[in-house]
Amino acid sequence: MAANLPTYDAKPWEAAYGTAIEKQLPVPRYLNLAHLVHSACERYAKKIAFTAVVPNGMNGSLSYAKLGELSDAFAVYLRDGCKLQPGDRVAVQLPNGLAYPVVAFGVFKAGCVLVNTNPLYTPSEMAHQFKDSGAKVLVIVDMFADKLAEVVPRTDIKHVVLASVSEMFPAVPNLIVRGVQKVWSKVLPPIPALAIPVQRLGAVLQAGQVDGSAKKVRAWWQTVQPQDVVALQYTGGTTGVSKGAMLTHANMLANVDQVLAMGRSHMGEDECVLTALPLYHIFAFTANFLCFLDIGGRNILIPSPRPVQNLQRAVENYPITWITGVNTLFNGLMNEEWFTAFPPKHLKAAIAGGTALHHAVAERWQIITGTRIAEGFGLTECSPVVTFNPLSGTAKPDSIGIPVPGTEVRLVDDMGELVPVGAPGELIVRGPQTMQGYWNRPTDTAAVLKDGWLYTGDVAVMDAQGYFKIVDRKKDLVLVSGFNVYPNEIEDALTKMGAVLEAAVVGVPDAKSGEAVRAYVVKNPDFAGELTKEAVLAHCKTLLTDYKIPKSIVFRDELPKSPVGKILRKDLKSEVKAEFNKK
Amino acid sequence: MLTELETKMLGVMMMVIMLGMGASLTFRDFLIAFKKPKGVLVGIACQYGIMPFLAYLLAILLGLPPALAVGLILMGCMPGGTTSNIFTYFSKGVLALSIMMTSVSTLVAVAAVPALIAFYSQKAGVTGEFAIPAANVAQVLVVLLVPTLIGMFLRKVNPNIGATIELIGSMLGILVILFLVVSWVPRNYQLLLSTPWSVFFASISLGLVGILLGFGLARLLKQDSNRSRTIGLETGIQNGPLAVLIVSLTFQGEMQQQVLLIPVLYSLFIVLTSSAITVWFRKIATREALARDNAKVALASAAVAS
Repeated sequence: MAANLPTYDAKPWEAAYGTAIEKQLPVPRYLNLAHLVHSACERYAKKIAFTAVVPNGMNGSLSYAKLGELSDAFAVYLRDGCKLQPGDRVAVQLPNGLAYPVVAFGVFKAGCVLVNTNPLYTPSEMAHQFKDSGAKVLVIVDMFADKLAEVVPRTDIKHVVLASVSEMFPAVPNLIVRGVQKVWSKVLPPIPALAIPVQRLGAVLQAGQVDGSAKKVRAWWQTVQPQDVVALQYTGGTTGVSKGAMLTHANMLANVDQVLAMGRSHMGEDECVLTALPLYHIFAFTANFLCFLDIGGRNILIPSPRPVQNLQRAVENYPITWITGVNTLFNGLMNEEWFTAFPPKHLKAAIAGGTALHHAVAERWQIITGTRIAEGFGLTECSPVVTFNPLSGTAKPDSIGIPVPGTEVRLVDDMGELVPVGAPGELIVRGPQTMQGYWNRPTDTAAVLKDGWLYTGDVAVMDAQGYFKIVDRKKDLVLVSGFNVYPNEIEDALTKMGAVLEAAVVGVPDAKSGEAVRAYVVKNPDFAGELTKEAVLAHCKTLLTDYKIPKSIVFRDELPKSPVGKILRKDLKSEVKAEFNKK
Repeated sequence: MLTELETKMLGVMMMVIMLGMGASLTFRDFLIAFKKPKGVLVGIACQYGIMPFLAYLLAILLGLPPALAVGLILMGCMPGGTTSNIFTYFSKGVLALSIMMTSVSTLVAVAAVPALIAFYSQKAGVTGEFAIPAANVAQVLVVLLVPTLIGMFLRKVNPNIGATIELIGSMLGILVILFLVVSWVPRNYQLLLSTPWSVFFASISLGLVGILLGFGLARLLKQDSNRSRTIGLETGIQNGPLAVLIVSLTFQGEMQQQVLLIPVLYSLFIVLTSSAITVWFRKIATREALARDNAKVALASAAVAS
């Protein structure tokens, strides 16, 4: 369908940029991320870069100048203390807190590679990620030190550094927070005896603060090239083996510029961003951590955002101007009396990513705070931001917005051919932010990276103005007699029925149609009568064309869910597989 | 009885406790409470409706002599204690509601407590030398508002200082009770041995039954279970040190000794009963919160993963 070719490549979305968004990305301003950090710490030396706030309001802050100094010290520790070489991996397993920026920036300055790790990982997940990445140094929050004995011997880790949640807090609050952790919540386990050195971050930083180190550190990072890998960002843990996406300095710097291009109209010189999302995740890492550092903003770091009440003191005590979040965070905030009564009055914008932002949540947010939530779309492999709803001008509900500047996006069919405007196709991306591949996994890389295009596995549609909408995950598609059926659409139709609490749709093998639609349905406990298959089918007939109507309906008491409540179609699929293998 | 030094120390400690209470508050909290006053109103109704009446009822039913009756009624009429905030925190209750109830009941106390004491004392037939002058009570309460305001101000200026004195203030609430136990009990063990069971019964019941009735009334008034547990704790836990302070400022010698008995015993036992109830409430709250959180709030990485 060559006639369609200009459709996506003509970038119809550029009209929606208006005057607020530059079409061209600026030429790279920095050599690498260490350069960005160094330059920010010099430019904004006296300003506060990070403030960590625990639920009772106790807090600690780091100025840009101090941050520059301490991250230099950590770089010295890595290169001189641990004898790391440029390109060596450093695993960082910390919740949001003041230790995180010092450590991450120290890794950049040492020319090493950051391996962000979820602090809540199980020992086997940790061991896999550390072994796979070949990390030599691990920085871990002391609350989970008990896992070390099991993990470390299975990895190449040679040095462990422990940091606390209240790291770098003033003395008295630090004492109180640690006292409460130790005595009341009992979350500080004893440090296991290991065959390798285990040190505390404070000691390591003190040792690293030597005269003349600034010059030495500068010489280290000045040799780091834009195309060098800066982070192995692990992904795919819920669907298969976790793989490390190789992101370069150039990838991250480009995405910083892309996010800034979209947000600039709402950013001044003294922004204060609420960082409740974890920094080890690529969304907050780029959007909050790097972008706001570059513009001299202040990150308000929340170590533990659950329950949402934990955010109250932070929202009360600081003039929050930006919030990044996921649907559940926004929804949670709006269920809090203190938030709805006094929404942050300096708020300029909120951005949502991750899972789909619910329409009702977005509308209520606008009413309560007077600002919009701009929904975006991204993935780890793209550092992460790909599309974004413009903050000025038109944002479309349920849409993931338009591609960020400098990014090519196409929708293609299974043959890799472009699909017409309005038709669903797999979203593929090419831009300065797309990763170099998966660490040590050429086969996996070849499956998603073709001719510089990253195949996201998400099926989307584009409208005439160039706004995209996600339809479903490609691998969840059900192919009925050659027709594509999107489970999301069928599930939406099913849950419109009052008697249905929730539903999940998967494909099952079928002799006649190849695949057939099967619906798993949970009855709404509030519904008094009996729910029959006939009633469900009759309901579906009013909303769906023939081939989309479920061929079989299975009633369940509950559906398999991830710890955060996402329905796991993959579990149902493996059930189906087992069932049909038996036959 | 308490020595003059002890009375002075108690006064100073009360100041610090109130400083801590102030530091737990913002002016916003008051505005929120006034915007949606139902929770606090229900709480205040429990606080000043249930407790004084319960104290009066116990005094009558147990046929307590005037000196003990006045101590019990005084205890029942006290505003909420700041220690209730600690217990609410540890029982995973609605901390904001507990703090609001403590502070609003302390503000209301200036007018309500003298009136309630006078009313119930008279009904219970306590007159003459055992009657507590309303002016005394009001005066103590007004004086204590000063550190409360200073605490609020400190909290606004520096959250670290605010949170620290908030913690010290609530801890001190328990320390004061320990102090009383350590200094008062050994000197008075003879008295305790000869104290009839009815006095122990009254001291324990006032708190325990107060918590249960507070919870029940809040449930009846359509508060959800977590808020009701908070209101229950807040209702049952009175400001014991304040009662001790008022008694020691009002009575002398042997009289003070007698009137002090129930406030001291109450303060001692309420720590034990509310600790036990806190453990129990915490279990229920954890179970409820988990169920709710899984449905509503999720922030772990999988939610952000695209």
